[in-house]
Amino acid sequence: MNDDMIPGLSGEESPLWKRALKHTAILVALLAIWEFLTASGYADPLLFPRPSHIFGSFVPLYVTQAIVWEHLWVTMANVLAGFVVGTILGISLAILAGFSETIHRYMKPYVIVLEATPRIAIGPLMLAWLGFGFGAKLAIVTLVCFFAPFINTLTAILSANPAQVELMRSLGASKWQTLTKVIVPDAMPMIMAGIRMAMASALGGALVAEFISSNKGMGVLLDNLAAVLNMAGAFATLLSLTLIGYILYALMERIESRVIFWQNEAGLRRVSARRKRAWGATS
Amino acid sequence: MNGPAQRMMIGMIARAADPVFRRRAFTHVTIFALIIGVWEWAGRTGRLNDLIMPAPSAITEAFWRLYAVTGEVYWHFFVTLYEAVAGFLIGAGIGMGLAIAAALSLGFRRYIAPYAIALNVTPGIAVTPIFIAWFGFGWSSKIALAALIVFFPVFVNTLSGLLRTDRDTAELFRALGASKAQTFFKLMVPNAAPMIFAGFKIAMTSALVGAIVAEFASATEGIGILMQRYSHKLDIAASIAVLLSMSLMGLLLFTLMEEMDRRVVFWKHQGRLDAVARKRHRRWGGLATEKEQARA
Repeated sequence: MNDDMIPGLSGEESPLWKRALKHTAILVALLAIWEFLTASGYADPLLFPRPSHIFGSFVPLYVTQAIVWEHLWVTMANVLAGFVVGTILGISLAILAGFSETIHRYMKPYVIVLEATPRIAIGPLMLAWLGFGFGAKLAIVTLVCFFAPFINTLTAILSANPAQVELMRSLGASKWQTLTKVIVPDAMPMIMAGIRMAMASALGGALVAEFISSNKGMGVLLDNLAAVLNMAGAFATLLSLTLIGYILYALMERIESRVIFWQNEAGLRRVSARRKRAWGATS
Repeated sequence: MNGPAQRMMIGMIARAADPVFRRRAFTHVTIFALIIGVWEWAGRTGRLNDLIMPAPSAITEAFWRLYAVTGEVYWHFFVTLYEAVAGFLIGAGIGMGLAIAAALSLGFRRYIAPYAIALNVTPGIAVTPIFIAWFGFGWSSKIALAALIVFFPVFVNTLSGLLRTDRDTAELFRALGASKAQTFFKLMVPNAAPMIFAGFKIAMTSALVGAIVAEFASATEGIGILMQRYSHKLDIAASIAVLLSMSLMGLLLFTLMEEMDRRVVFWKHQGRLDAVARKRHRRWGGLATEKEQARA
């Protein structure tokens, strides 16, 4: 696991099994206290379901009734489609805007207003425009995913090193070459950070879209379970969402370390070994 | 007085004399007028469906209706603002408290980390139905959701700000015999302040989003429900007017945080730095003269 989500965790380390044991002990103790409080009636079991019931309700959700799968599929399709469309749109528009200073200057006020608007709040409007189907939900996720890559790409392109661009020009490089060989690689860390932010908000966007209007999806499932006060089921669904969120985060982290390999030691070594082999083969 | 309004005025007067600025401002206004003009024309001639995208005049009229004729918007505005700010205060308070504890103790930091990570990767919005079941349909479920969303950015920024303390300076503090409390308040906190405020700025905007989304899920009052009501009635002009009001509210809260940032973390902003230096100089000068007077 990459630990850069919480700073200051590295340091002298005790062996892994020791740490894992302590973490597990604390978790088990917390769960036991919770279980005791609910079982003995100090906490309302209707509101704070017993941990054993929460874990127990994973079984009907995933195995015996297996209702979670169709909802999961709908939500994931929505998240991934909206994420891909939104990021591609954001990055390409930013590159277009970054190409010409004039376009950028006159676009800026509109971008600022759009940025200040809570994106998710456009949800009900999208619904009125595009109806209750997949289109509106896709549009909401796309919109949520659009901004971070757009802003980050634009900022990175505009802060390109003028000396490097100058050098490329004096070497007779075309505008396209300058863009693909200097500006974009230089901007890549910021672009990837934007993409990661987009991924982090995509799941939330999809859930909101489903809360507002839908008949399928994890948001609907969660809403229905909580509405009938099946809190154990609602918590199990929430934990599933936590897991999905973590998987998406870890995936992005992995992709990022591949794409901007020069920013970490291991990636740098891997790529330089590969290149060396390739050169050795040709000569 | 040296308020932001005055500063802006001075800046505008100075820039109005600049021919390049004048030419650009002119182009900006022209482009804006052109967009509005084409839009209005398309709406009038029926090329744009009123139900999809009402003409600018219709939106302006809706603004007038909301703010001047019925005036119902103000109460909803207040409700959402209250929910967002209350949620922000609670979430930021808990976030800072836990971050301080985590910064001071490596053990606590290690054991709280997995829970903080789990909280961060869970889309906060997903907790809405559970919070509604817990706290009911009133304001408190919205405040709770805003607080939950606010927690992580404040926590992480405070923690990394506190941890970034320069080692040599800490060494100096120890050599000078500073107590632990002194080191914390005079070294670590001022050092972390810029990052803490960066966290506040992110958190404030997300608090607003949290409140609005919770209102979408279930509420009877608030700007989110107002907007939903209008778009269900297909009164798109009014819902765009509400949406623009939300942007305004977002900008307002953000600007407020910026201004607080400028005042508290004054040493990061040249203008404020000068102002504070002048003030301190005056105070010290005053003290000195009093002493001199006493001596005389």
